[in-house]
Amino acid sequence: MWRASIRRAPWRALTSALLLILCASLFPHMETLFRWLQPDASQVVYDRDSFWRLLLSHAGLVLLSGFIATVVGVVSGILVTRESGRDFLPLVNNIASIGQTFPPVAVLALAVPMTGFGGAPTVVALTLYGLLPVVRNTIAGLEGVSGAVLEAARGMGMSPSQVLWKVELPLAFKVIMAGVRTSVTINIATAAIGSTIGAKTLGDPIVAGLINGNTAYVLQGAILVALLAVAADAIFERIESASA
Amino acid sequence: MSVLAIAALLFLDFASFQPNRILPGEGVALLDALSLRWTLPVFAGALAIALLSWRPDRHAYLAILLTATTLVAFLPVLAGVFGLERAIEGLQHGRAALGSGFWLAGFFMALIMIEACHKLQAGIWLKLASVTVVVAGIAIAYSYGVLEKLSLAQEFHVRQRQFVTEMGAHFNLVFWSMLPSAVMGMALAIWATRSEKARRGLFGVLSVVQTIPSLALFGLLIAPLSYLANEFGWLRAIGVQGIGFTPALIALIGYSLLPMTRNAYVALTGTPEPVLEAARGMGMNESQVFLQVRLPLAAPVILEGLRIMTVQTIGLTAVAALIGAGGMGTFIFQGLGQAAMDLVLLGAIPTILFALAADALFAFLTATTRGAP
Repeated sequence: MWRASIRRAPWRALTSALLLILCASLFPHMETLFRWLQPDASQVVYDRDSFWRLLLSHAGLVLLSGFIATVVGVVSGILVTRESGRDFLPLVNNIASIGQTFPPVAVLALAVPMTGFGGAPTVVALTLYGLLPVVRNTIAGLEGVSGAVLEAARGMGMSPSQVLWKVELPLAFKVIMAGVRTSVTINIATAAIGSTIGAKTLGDPIVAGLINGNTAYVLQGAILVALLAVAADAIFERIESASA
Repeated sequence: MSVLAIAALLFLDFASFQPNRILPGEGVALLDALSLRWTLPVFAGALAIALLSWRPDRHAYLAILLTATTLVAFLPVLAGVFGLERAIEGLQHGRAALGSGFWLAGFFMALIMIEACHKLQAGIWLKLASVTVVVAGIAIAYSYGVLEKLSLAQEFHVRQRQFVTEMGAHFNLVFWSMLPSAVMGMALAIWATRSEKARRGLFGVLSVVQTIPSLALFGLLIAPLSYLANEFGWLRAIGVQGIGFTPALIALIGYSLLPMTRNAYVALTGTPEPVLEAARGMGMNESQVFLQVRLPLAAPVILEGLRIMTVQTIGLTAVAALIGAGGMGTFIFQGLGQAAMDLVLLGAIPTILFALAADALFAFLTATTRGAP
């Protein structure tokens, strides 16, 4: 996956994370500012839940589903590129590429009839959807290791598992991480929409604000979600450039 | 040998999924739901596919494709008949909801169709024909009232007019955001090929925009836009508002720009130097080189960018319903609000089909530009 390189800002992860913490702690105390934005509303600071609770729950949902998706995705990516599992490669490739065409909202909505409302369908949908980029990139990364390199590794007397751990996975690491990054970015966004199906996320203030026509609520949620996404992306960028 | 194994594993796996369930309130397995007269063809068809896949050659795959296509078209009819029979038994206002078994069976059949097409190296016409069979089958069943008792069809029936409106709104948003971002994306990509500094800044900004969750970006645009609309009367006069079409359009364009610009940039810089050299050697001037050499060579990659952008935009437009922009997302969120799953499906399924159709269309276009000399 081709990404713009912005190496000149290694502090981006730190800044955005700091801003995120700052905003989450200060929003409840910034009533005057939000009052100016939304003079006619009775409430201008979202208080049905603390921003910290929402932030942690949002991050928790993404981390949990991201973790499951990464483990399952990488393992299945490895399995279908082994000699014995190669028969499944076209099937898995097909599912991954068709699945990515499905809009995340639709996947989220379709998870509800299966598991009911709340956090569970969100995790299910995020995991299923997050799997696709990981599987795809794991396969691409492993297939991208040149045959000559594998030949050489085998020639040195490495066993298949040594080849996998010491040659293939390190060489494919960057591509796999890019897949995980795509998956997490999409999932932070989708988790925000998850609040429409009853998950506790930073999307709550946004949705509540949209329903009541309260722009201040919308702004509070939107700023926090945006910062969370930018911070997560910047952290991945650090990992990628550190491993390069 | 490996082909044989793929086919066997794939199809045997699927065959065990066959005891299929249709869930109206409480789940009913296919065998209990309908008399053998209706279910026998399904099991026979599935069995035939499994048997055929043991001896895979061209004819077998053709037969598999045919069987799977028929089955996909036949499944909704089964569900419809089930609904009708239950209704006759006395539950006049009952409706049959489609269960997970139905979707899984349909999904596996569709996968088999794709696999068979792939193995046959089917051309566009064969693929089109099989899709047409499925669509026509469902349409005929609907027009004869077979599907009448399905809850999905009932939801559709009640909201027929709104459905058309929202479909139009969805299409409008996708179209009007794609057009400017395609043009702007090309312009920005050309700009990026001219200056290194522009390239860095541009892709930096665009990838940050891409990272921001859609719900947040829609939300962030509301405040400044409603401020602008209140301050400047002429903006409001042309329809600029804090919620609705305008913020949705701006956000969608923002999201589309990265895939478009990125692919256009990669495509334009990807022309091999010797080719350019040769073109210049033939006496072409720079603009001729650009129009007659670079652009045609770049076309497939640019189309790929358009494809990613369109599919992504179709999905994001569904979210835009939350800020009152309309589109199929309206049904999704309305349904979620009322816990009416069939209303959700009424929004989600067309969105998915829309995305799949756009994907297929661009894949076809890319293939034709690649094929051209």
